Amino acid sequence: MSLALSVRSLEAKIGDLLILKGVDLEVPAGEVHVLMGPNGSGKSTLCHVLTGKDDYQATGTILVDGIDISGMPVDERARAGVFQAFQYPVQIGGVLLEELLDEMAEASPDPAAFRARTTAAVESLNMEHFMNRSVNDELSGGEKKRSEMLQLAAVQPKIAVLDEIDSGLDIDAVREVAELVEELRSPDLGVLLITHYSRILRYMKPDRVHVMIDGRVVKSGGVEVAEELESSGYDALRKSLGAEPVAEEDDFLAGL
Amino acid sequence: MVSLKSHPPIDPTLPTWLADLQQSGVAALADLSMPSAKQEEWRYVDLRFDIGSFDLATSGVPSALDVPFRSARGALAITDGAMGELVSDLPNGVVFGSARNTTEPCVSGKFGSGVPADRDVFAAIHRAFAGDGAFLHISSGTAVEEPFTVEISATRSGTVSLPHLTVVVEDNVEASAIVYFASHEEVDAVVLSQLEVSIGKNSHFKLTVVQQWGDKTRAIADVFYTLDDNATGTFTEIGLGGVYSRVRFDADLIGNGSHMEIIGAYFGDRDQVLDYRYFLDHVGVGTTSNIFLKGAVEDDAESVFTGLIRIEEGAQKTNAHQTNRNLILSDGASAQSVPNLEILANDVRCGHGSTMGPLDKDQRYYLMSRGLDKAQADRLQVKGFFEEALVKVPHGNIRDELRLAVNKKFVAAQSEGRV
Ligand SMILES: Nc1ncnc2c1ncn2[C@@H]1O[C@H](COP(=O)(O)OP(=O)(O)O)[C@@H](O)[C@H]1O
Ligand SMILES: [Mg+2]
Repeated sequence: MSLALSVRSLEAKIGDLLILKGVDLEVPAGEVHVLMGPNGSGKSTLCHVLTGKDDYQATGTILVDGIDISGMPVDERARAGVFQAFQYPVQIGGVLLEELLDEMAEASPDPAAFRARTTAAVESLNMEHFMNRSVNDELSGGEKKRSEMLQLAAVQPKIAVLDEIDSGLDIDAVREVAELVEELRSPDLGVLLITHYSRILRYMKPDRVHVMIDGRVVKSGGVEVAEELESSGYDALRKSLGAEPVAEEDDFLAGL
Repeated sequence: MVSLKSHPPIDPTLPTWLADLQQSGVAALADLSMPSAKQEEWRYVDLRFDIGSFDLATSGVPSALDVPFRSARGALAITDGAMGELVSDLPNGVVFGSARNTTEPCVSGKFGSGVPADRDVFAAIHRAFAGDGAFLHISSGTAVEEPFTVEISATRSGTVSLPHLTVVVEDNVEASAIVYFASHEEVDAVVLSQLEVSIGKNSHFKLTVVQQWGDKTRAIADVFYTLDDNATGTFTEIGLGGVYSRVRFDADLIGNGSHMEIIGAYFGDRDQVLDYRYFLDHVGVGTTSNIFLKGAVEDDAESVFTGLIRIEEGAQKTNAHQTNRNLILSDGASAQSVPNLEILANDVRCGHGSTMGPLDKDQRYYLMSRGLDKAQADRLQVKGFFEEALVKVPHGNIRDELRLAVNKKFVAAQSEGRV
């Protein structure tokens, strides 16, 4: 079984602020993994470091389908098989989704195949009317996520990192996104789905759940890890690992 | 060739009104020299040429350049200032042709009315030497779907040409025109044009200028609109060419409820200077105006936008907005953006926004994360930037050409390593 993603001893900082403090993580091809963790634990940072955003100084190894991508710029990583569905996809006024997908096709190794996948995904996601709208412009939260999922289906990456694909969505939209992820399952694709709520797990069957706290993956296991978290919370997990509980941001604000 | 330094005796065959105009130009010319950047209206630019070293273009041979006529509804060429023949038929209610030869009586009050002869040396030269121009008159109640087209070109280096277009739109009219400015790359000429538009009650007239002067051509276009009650004027300029290209635009919103819509997109490359001066005078009650300009500069190019909205004492309920967004694509490129207001009434709404900066980093990151290389991502961003303006160009069928023209400039800058 090949690994879609293999991350070893990944550290990342911005300036002097160390955010990822040695992340180890593996996602085999064909599997869907979930990464959970409290706000500020470094989940989005991990996504951006995998994608290659140059704000971060990173060390460690990142293998995608066995290939070391850590020295590569953003576009090469994308072509090597990394796809991120952004939590906050940036709006690009004046560029239609259709045009973006066309440029993506041009940049892909097999434009004809890319276009065929695009056509199929537009149809199955029922997104014809999105195609002549500007990228992420004046879209609802759920529509943005669907647009990201459409691009994911067209790209056919090796590893798809979905950052809080469920946040800001109503319950029907969460179910819809979960079903889309299950539909995308394929032997050649690894999925790392990031969330801090377990509700999306009601509608899908992840192969493994990882928990990130304070820049490290501190626990991995089956769906039961998420269930435990749901009943006892992140603080209990911190305690069981021998760490001091950290005040949640809201408590901190309440104390002011 | 006629030197600009001494005016020949006024042609006795000119109609009296035109002879009088020339006479006033000659008088104004005596006191004027090249403007300097010390004058407010010429701030931020260094003209780097002397109009006195150019000769007046005469007996230009009207010839279609490589800009094809796009209109079936009346098209006219003005080559080196000389009027060509009208191509195609005109709809009822429309007079379109030589101002000098028209029998339409209102030409005398309108031709040359928009630009005072003593505004600057260029206006004076235009007034003193222009011997004809295109005259478009549209009678009340006429609606014309397709745009009238005027193709203005310069073909001779070392010359000054003086193209002129006067549009008189009566009441309850819907019509539009496209002016193409073009010259070949090597044509080192000066073009001083004047475009005047007078819009009657409840009428809507749209004028679009597509500016594609060659690399060595210098051009100053004075544009003037006057609007009657509930009239709407639309002015669009797409600025692509010229080593120096200026648009000085004045609108008098005299009529109550009149509206002026201004759309612009310009892209300066290499050593181009693109210079825009907008002056809007709100006079009537309940008048509105909207300026929306997007510009990019790269390499050593410079752009200037100044917008002065003046709201007269009686112009209550005015609503006026100016937006100017600039993309600075190289370190050596610069843009000036100076929106201004002069408000004498107290019940008005005004707003302005100027922005200036490089391509957005987050957009680039997003696009590259989709596999686009930097050059491809930048092209798409530039496309998106201009699209906001180009999508507003009134004539839908020329938008694709304009998109291509903008893209071509950016791709050239990329392939020559300037951005
Ligand atoms: N660009 C940045 N500049 C400064 N601090 C950052 C930046 N990005 C992330 N951080 C910090 O790193 C930590 C982890 O953030 P993030 O990865 O967004 O967490 P999560 O996605 O798990 O909520 C937070 O403390 C956050 O403030
Ligand atoms: Mg996050």
